[in-house]
Parts: sequence; structure tokens; C-alpha cells
Amino acid sequence: MNEDNATATSRFGCFALVFGVCFAILYVICDMAALPLFTYHPGTDRIDAGFVRPRPDEGPAMYWYGWIASSALGAGLLGALAAALPQTLRDKIPLALAWVVPVVLLPVLLYSLKFYWRWE
Amino acid sequence: MDFLFDYISVNTFWTILSIAHALLAVALLGALTHQAAAVLMPARARSDGGFVTHFRSVSGPRYAGAVCVLWVLAFILGGWIYAKYRIYVRIPIEQEGFFKTLGAFELKEHLTTIGLGLLPFYRHLWKSARTAAGERARKWLTVVLAAICWYAFLTGHVVNNVRGFGL
Repeated sequence: MNEDNATATSRFGCFALVFGVCFAILYVICDMAALPLFTYHPGTDRIDAGFVRPRPDEGPAMYWYGWIASSALGAGLLGALAAALPQTLRDKIPLALAWVVPVVLLPVLLYSLKFYWRWE
Repeated sequence: MDFLFDYISVNTFWTILSIAHALLAVALLGALTHQAAAVLMPARARSDGGFVTHFRSVSGPRYAGAVCVLWVLAFILGGWIYAKYRIYVRIPIEQEGFFKTLGAFELKEHLTTIGLGLLPFYRHLWKSARTAAGERARKWLTVVLAAICWYAFLTGHVVNNVRGFGL
């Protein structure tokens, strides 16, 4: 057993690590590729499955809740798969991913919001 | 919820929720800042020393559970308020042309969501990290979460200043 990774060797530790990392990555993918599990229309309290554009005269559409649901579902599945791996494989998952991934995703998120960075 | 509006106005209700969200954020900010200071600059002497020494002398593990609970509660309230924000706050700010303010707020939502997903592993590390790699991951994950919390707090404060309560 790789002693450095002993923290992740428990099934829950492995699930939590893979869930957190995959949740972050899937969330950014869902945001950039417009993949919400559902769309919420706050003006009318309507919920539609998947990505739906705002309806005329019904106000804006919100995708944030749907992105969270999509990424939580995907990350939950991947975390469960990772937790089912044998211990020798679980030991090989670097713990540093937990903080490196959010740091790496920051410039991607800034780029995804480029619409807002207007200097006018 | 409608029975509440027999006693308070709709604006008062959302103002109370916004203030509760802000108070939870203050508590979370304090807990995470103490914890981040404790892992970045561990204090050697607990009884002696001044304010800074005592500030970083907290027991990190004791804060981990509270941080998770506060993050989740602040997130739930923020997510609830977000639907109203989308109509009654964001649209007027768009009309004013404060796009960088909106972008900063969108980034806050993204970062706090990513932080939410990392809480189970953060809690696990504080509960059971016993190795050098585990302690390193715990240290830097705590610092990242503290940085997200500071960013979210300041951005929320700015957006609140732009739009104000009860408008």
C-alpha cells in the first residue's frame, strides 16, 4: 500500500475525493456545454427537463440548479465506481487533486464568463 | 409559506433571508479564516503571544464540522435567494450595464458550488488524514475553500451595495 495515499484508501475517502473532483469538472463542462438536467423559469415557477431557452414573456431561464443536479449525478456515479475499485488502485489516486483541480478550473471559469468582462 | 405574508411584507421576507445568508457567510468566513491561518502558520506556543498567535492557535479539526454545516446552510439560502436575484436584481443591474459586477457574481456562484462538492473530502481529511500527503491535501484544500469564501463574501457584499435591500 502506498502510505502517502492511506487517507483515500477507505471506500468513503475514495468516494469523497472522486466525487469532489468530478463534480467540479462536470460542473464546468455542464456550464460551458449547456447541459443542465433541468431548466427553471423563476418568473412562472415552471421546470422543464434539459436545456430550454427562455420563453417569450415568461422572464429569464435559470440553468444553475440544473447544472448542479447534472454534475452531482455524474460525480455520484463516478465516485461510487471509484469506491468499488480494489485498494491497490484506490491508493494511486493523488490526494492533491482535491485542491489542484479547483485552482486549474479557475481560468477556465473566467474564460467561460468572458461575456461579462467588458471594458467600456 | 404564504401565511408568513399575513404578518410581513414580501420585501421584508426576502430581506430577512438575505441578512440570514450574510450572517451565515460571516460565521463561515471567520471559521475558515481561523482554520486556514492555523494550517498555514501553526502556532508553537498556545498560551503566550499576541492576537495573531491566538488567532492561528485554533484547533482545526474542531472547526471542520461547523464549516461544512455553515457552507451548506449558506448555500441553501443563497440558492433560494438566487431565483429572486435572477429577476429582481440581475435584470436591473444588466440594464445599468454593470457587466463586470454580474460576471463577478456568476463566478461566485460557480466557485461556491465547486466548494460544496469538495466538502465531503474536506471533512474526511480533517477527520482521518494521518499521512504527509493527507496533511498537505488538507492544508491546501482548506486554503482554497477559505479563498473561495473570501471571494464570495466580498462579491456578495459588492452586489448588495450595487442593488441594495428592499428595492
